[in-house]
Amino acid sequence: MMSGERAEGAEGCFLDEETFRRCCDHFLQRSQALHDGWSWEQVKGTEEGYMKKTVLGTGRVNISTAQDGHPRAGEVMDAVGDQGQVDDLGDEDTPVPAEGSSVIRFEYHVLYSCSYQTPVLYFRASTLDGRPLSLEDVWDQVHPNYRQRLLQGPWDTITQQEHPLIGQPFFFLHPCRTADFMRPLLQVAHAENRKLNYIVSWLSVVGPVVGLDVPLTYCEPLGSPALPLWHLTDHCLTLPPAGAWQTLHSKGCLNPTAFDHHLISFSFTWM
Amino acid sequence: MAAGHTEKDSANQKLQFAPFCSALEAGFWHQLTQKKLNDYRLDESPKSIKGYYYNGDPAGLPTRLTLEFSAFDATGPTPARCCPALGTLYNMNTFEAFKSCDKKALLEKEANEIWEAVRSEKVLEDPSLLSKFLLLTFADLKKYHFYYWFCFPALCFTEGIQVVEQPVTLEEKFSPKQIAALQVSYDALCSDIGTTAIPYFLVKYTEEAVLVSPLKDWDTFFQGQKKVTVAVYDPCTLSQHPGWPLRNLLVLIATKWGSAVDAVEVLCFRDQTLQGKRSILHSIMLQIRLPELSQTAGCPKSVGWEKNQKGAMGPRMVNLSECMDPKRLAESSVDLNLKLMRWRLVPSLDLDKVVSTRCLLLGAGTLGCNVARTLMGWGVRHITFVDNAKISYSNPVRQPLYEFEDCLSGGKPKALAAVDRLKKIFPGVVAEGHNMSIPMPGHPVNFSGATMEQARRDVEQLESLISAHDVVFLLMDTRESRWLPTVIAASQRKLVVNAALGFDTFVVMRHGLKKPKHTESGGSTPSSASSTPASGSASDSASASSSSTPAGSALVPGSSLFSNIPGHRLGCYFCNDVVAPGDSTRDRTLDQQCTVSRPGLAMIAGALAVELMVSILQHPEGGYAIASSSDDRMNEPPTSLGLAPHQIRGFLSRFDNVLPASLAFDKCTACSPIVLENYERDGFQFLSKVFNSSHSFLEDLTGLTLLHQETQAAECQARNYLTIRPQPNLANPVGYWPRECIEKYKYISALVQLVRLYGSLVFPRGVSAL
Repeated sequence: MMSGERAEGAEGCFLDEETFRRCCDHFLQRSQALHDGWSWEQVKGTEEGYMKKTVLGTGRVNISTAQDGHPRAGEVMDAVGDQGQVDDLGDEDTPVPAEGSSVIRFEYHVLYSCSYQTPVLYFRASTLDGRPLSLEDVWDQVHPNYRQRLLQGPWDTITQQEHPLIGQPFFFLHPCRTADFMRPLLQVAHAENRKLNYIVSWLSVVGPVVGLDVPLTYCEPLGSPALPLWHLTDHCLTLPPAGAWQTLHSKGCLNPTAFDHHLISFSFTWM
Repeated sequence: MAAGHTEKDSANQKLQFAPFCSALEAGFWHQLTQKKLNDYRLDESPKSIKGYYYNGDPAGLPTRLTLEFSAFDATGPTPARCCPALGTLYNMNTFEAFKSCDKKALLEKEANEIWEAVRSEKVLEDPSLLSKFLLLTFADLKKYHFYYWFCFPALCFTEGIQVVEQPVTLEEKFSPKQIAALQVSYDALCSDIGTTAIPYFLVKYTEEAVLVSPLKDWDTFFQGQKKVTVAVYDPCTLSQHPGWPLRNLLVLIATKWGSAVDAVEVLCFRDQTLQGKRSILHSIMLQIRLPELSQTAGCPKSVGWEKNQKGAMGPRMVNLSECMDPKRLAESSVDLNLKLMRWRLVPSLDLDKVVSTRCLLLGAGTLGCNVARTLMGWGVRHITFVDNAKISYSNPVRQPLYEFEDCLSGGKPKALAAVDRLKKIFPGVVAEGHNMSIPMPGHPVNFSGATMEQARRDVEQLESLISAHDVVFLLMDTRESRWLPTVIAASQRKLVVNAALGFDTFVVMRHGLKKPKHTESGGSTPSSASSTPASGSASDSASASSSSTPAGSALVPGSSLFSNIPGHRLGCYFCNDVVAPGDSTRDRTLDQQCTVSRPGLAMIAGALAVELMVSILQHPEGGYAIASSSDDRMNEPPTSLGLAPHQIRGFLSRFDNVLPASLAFDKCTACSPIVLENYERDGFQFLSKVFNSSHSFLEDLTGLTLLHQETQAAECQARNYLTIRPQPNLANPVGYWPRECIEKYKYISALVQLVRLYGSLVFPRGVSAL
């Protein structure tokens, strides 16, 4: 459930795979209780797997870039429709034309990276017909605060890469800086002798950057009302107390602007 | 229709259902592709697949039936709190088969199966039989276009279904106590059944309690009630309409219990969790009167083919070449990698300028190969090679575009083999190869009419190639072969990047870019370096060539000899020379000894040549950018990528580079005004004279011959100059620098002056003689 002995040591900003699994298990239990939609996807015939969540949202999609100048679906399709084999059959029982053109499906996968010994966030977004959005289009869906932050933050690099387990192209937040920004969080937690779920903390930092919300309720016990951050000592902790942020600032571990945005995001979640 | 004419006006309303909207995960198409390639191949027989729908969407989302990449595992798990929908996939082999497939028959077949399941009461055991679907597909795996058409078969009542009362939300209908009781009962039923979602269930309620039961327990649960409440797991979010799954349930009820009940209340069960807070308040309740439906009358009319994006009856198409075509993936990944530089490290980087630059690589050897690879790293798409050599056995280890196999049977032509390899490395490249020779000064072409004609054609081709590109890279192994492209490119005002290797030294430089021709017609000849920009005096070529004053002696007051030289006054590769190219009997310059060089040198120089080009392109003035020097290393850089030097001279023995800059030489054998004038006036006639004559032709033309006579004294001066510097080791004047920084730069500056003034005299003799 907790990040384990290793991760709590002064040098323990890395995560071994076993701890990753345990953190995920705990996270998934929470998700299930909160109906937050995370699931564990086992890759068939292997021991490996990943956490997955799908989020739907309505957004602006630049259809012209999505269609990419190739023959528009409609033009090709009309020829087929004209065959006249299928007509409406006078179905008067449908109220509204099916919406859906502006619906975007965001898919988030959390994997373990052996080489960086950290979790990695893979993501992609697509329209409902399965056509993936370009990174620019994904960008447009992200809150401007985060867009700016992504350009500056220590969790900076988005790259395109094949998903290591399912072999399909995904974007991912490169884990090369993960240990850097997790270290102070872990050290503070360690110094104050508090337990912390690596996945919750990590995901609450990197998720919002790509439109993934991690509700603060992940650090509440089930059924209890929301508590101020600094009352959470008995439970799994997502964030260090206010003083710890100062520590992080003074250590220069985090970009101050980015950090402020993060705090803002949490206060919104709070409301 | 049952007698209902006594009802209110609203009773005349017909119930309408929000149709399913197909929702496909990107992974579904990937998986279909795999299945088609590995399992189905040409098999068109129907396949079982599986989708799901969800009743917890926030308002505004369409009623969806979702297929993920796990859809092909029809027995696999369904996501939590989702209802499964079983489907049949008809994957056609051809577009024709897809088009001509009898959709009406497919729908009727499926509708009949549902009807049979209703009549045989199989649906009571397995209610998911009511929410089946069809998927007709054709996968064009050459273009990665996927054609598809979903059908969600629904049996219809011919007269429609009458709404007795306007729909209300559960919150309006139920007390908080009832709502809580319903939630508890539903959850209990879920855990009884061992699932997290129930597509259809029965409801009974009083003020105090709410009971739920599976569909199959109808008779015992309702025990002859005339008014019943049924619940459907409702994926719709509209406040006035139920979703599609209700349709076949109503057919079931009408068929099986229609004669036994008077009124049906429908709970469209919606179960949302936001921020960890669950709510079913927004579920809706409908009061309807069902028409009778006879079991013996045969299958009712059915509907269900999905409309396309235009709202017309027709299939849909999705083009996934961007994410599935490996070539497109390579392109987007390469571009994305470059964009990352812009996003964070160099926000003002103008990548388009780099990517769209058309590069002509003269020479496809060690330098050419490395330059091409670095260009590709920068995303440059348009790369053309010119080379006349074939790949030999010694090449592949140093020339990274070739392999051992390329050397067999006499070797493939380099220019063509390089193109093939580039395309293998990155199919998005627009590469072209020309297996041709470049005529050279002092290498006669007048042996026969045929050789003259060939030379003429070669010159013409080179001219048109240079004209069709933006940047010309000089990457040949001889000095002489650089002369013709230098002249042509200078005349055409093309940016030239030149790289040449010694054993452990190299020079990478951009040639000075002459001012555009139309500004010259103003009377001055800006390329004549001896005229100060301020004076603007007309110094014609005759006076320039007769002048024995070395270029650069006329200076803008206040600026030092070698700083702040604007791009149009910079020299070319030949400006530093006081001998015309084409004479291989005399001392070779350092960079002429290029056949033997340290193996890493070409990679360093090739990479620097491209990086120099990119930096120049980023400068707002491009090739006219003022040359940065080593002194500028401490200053604010002129481009987002840093300095824009004229030359980079590297000394591998010291692992050191310097950034000299030098003026165009008015007696230059390649870019001086008189040479360009002769070339532009007489064209091939002039060029053939250069090819066929000895070096003295160009030296006489430019006035170098005269200069030669004056160099002796100057050379002595130079030697004196060298010897008075603090601590230079004369046995190795290039490789040794005094420790103090300032002295070092002074020394370099002095050396550069010497190079500039006496060109080939200083380096080879400095190295070999001293």
